[in-house]
Amino acid sequence: MDAAVPAAASKPTAAALRRRRAPRSLALVPFVGLVVLGALWYGAVQFLKVPTYILPAPDAVARALWSGIAISPASPLGYYLPLWGTLKNAALGFALGSCLGVLFGSLMAEFRFFEKLTMPYAFALQSLPKVAIAPLIVIWFGFGDGSKIAISALLAFFPMMINSFTGLRSVEPEKIDLMRSLSASRFETYRIVKLPHAAPYIFAGLDMAVVYAFLGTIVAEFLGAQQGMGVVITQAQAVTDVAGVFAALVILGAVGIALHAVVRRLEHRVVHWAHRTR
Amino acid sequence: MGMIGAGSDVSPLIRIGGLQKIYAANTASPVHALSSIDLDIADGEFVAVVGPSGCGKSTLLRILAGLDDHDAGDLTLAGKSVSGPSTDVGFVFQAANLLPWLTVRDNVRLPLRVGRAAMAVGSDIDALLDMTGLADFGDRYPYELSGGMQQRAGICRALARNPKILLMDEPFGALDALTRERMNLELQRIWQTSGKTIVLITHSISEAVFLGDRVVVMSARPGRVVADITIPIPRPRSLDGIIGHPEYQRITREIRHLLNAQGEVD
Repeated sequence: MDAAVPAAASKPTAAALRRRRAPRSLALVPFVGLVVLGALWYGAVQFLKVPTYILPAPDAVARALWSGIAISPASPLGYYLPLWGTLKNAALGFALGSCLGVLFGSLMAEFRFFEKLTMPYAFALQSLPKVAIAPLIVIWFGFGDGSKIAISALLAFFPMMINSFTGLRSVEPEKIDLMRSLSASRFETYRIVKLPHAAPYIFAGLDMAVVYAFLGTIVAEFLGAQQGMGVVITQAQAVTDVAGVFAALVILGAVGIALHAVVRRLEHRVVHWAHRTR
Repeated sequence: MGMIGAGSDVSPLIRIGGLQKIYAANTASPVHALSSIDLDIADGEFVAVVGPSGCGKSTLLRILAGLDDHDAGDLTLAGKSVSGPSTDVGFVFQAANLLPWLTVRDNVRLPLRVGRAAMAVGSDIDALLDMTGLADFGDRYPYELSGGMQQRAGICRALARNPKILLMDEPFGALDALTRERMNLELQRIWQTSGKTIVLITHSISEAVFLGDRVVVMSARPGRVVADITIPIPRPRSLDGIIGHPEYQRITREIRHLLNAQGEVD
């Protein structure tokens, strides 16, 4: 992706222009894949007589999708209200889990005592499939928003903790020497050197955490909820509306891609130096 | 500015007496990095230190900077015993060691933002950038600068607190030969206009002789001073002028002999 960024932004040579133009024409390639996939799918359903409760035809999915989109945003039958509910809880869980993740990662990186205290448990929890804790969290927090936020936060927490810890610990010793030679305080070294150095790691963590938080909310909604995309899926499943399930999955996929893109855009803006330094 | 030679009667700015450094002193096989270094450096003097790799010359510099401690001996800077980093010292690292997320100006200003010096009035940052030809690059990021320009910014940063002493740890080692020569000229000019005392660690004999009032030659581990040679070539020295100078040729040959007797030069 770095090839798309002009290095000096001053004198674009012919070669640089060619290099920059190439990705734009290649941007259509994934859509070709989509069309081919759609055609194969349609053909399989038509000619192999796959029952619609196993695999609905793409046009049935498209119709289900349209019925959810081309509707008043206030209608409970559309995607807007459920998606809003899911995104709101995922965002709150993401914010909570990410902040706590960076806080714990920082404490572990800065204080050996804290590292020794928490590291074994952090890694034990990390290897536990955290979605398995979801039913327990529903018992603790109930079927309301609380359990959705808690599960999202839990899933977002671990990549953020591990990545910020790793990033903070990977600062080159010369940079620490620089701050020592200036008699900088520990907090100044953290704020001016360690945290910015860890920023690319933290962004890689955010990239994972944002998707995990979204996943966490949907899993929590499967276990029971008033509204949300998880509910849309379980309700469609209950009446064997497989096209409806597929349509909801398309929405979730699109939202996942959009969240990922937002984080990437933000990363390029904040840690622009990291892509060019080496 | 620029008192030539060591034989002045004022007390030296840097006084090193019987300095020793032992790594892992409490184990069965301690490594003697520095054994009894004696060295006096006068105010305004430019001292270059050369030696084979692993002779402890960088360790010596780090001890002077208060980044490492020593195991025996005395070390005073401007009459004060060294017990940690001092605002009287600016340190120039191997490879500029700039913070890539700060602009050049913010990198140079860093020493004025942190530590106990945060309040103190330092040098005029724009004047420093101007002096080193970086005036138009203050708002650029380090990745937009060449290696030579990055190291100029590194030197500016070391000068930001207006220290008496500049300690330089092989600052031009990573640069190509041509840029390095240009930086040598530049450094001579900076030293002459600023009147700083400079201790420069280098593995280039020609760089040491070109820049130094004195060249201190160190032995392989354990590091000792084997020669302390005054360079009687008048200032300002030019790259062309010095190559043909008979003293230059005599002294570089002498240093090369001393180093060859010690093992390979790095």
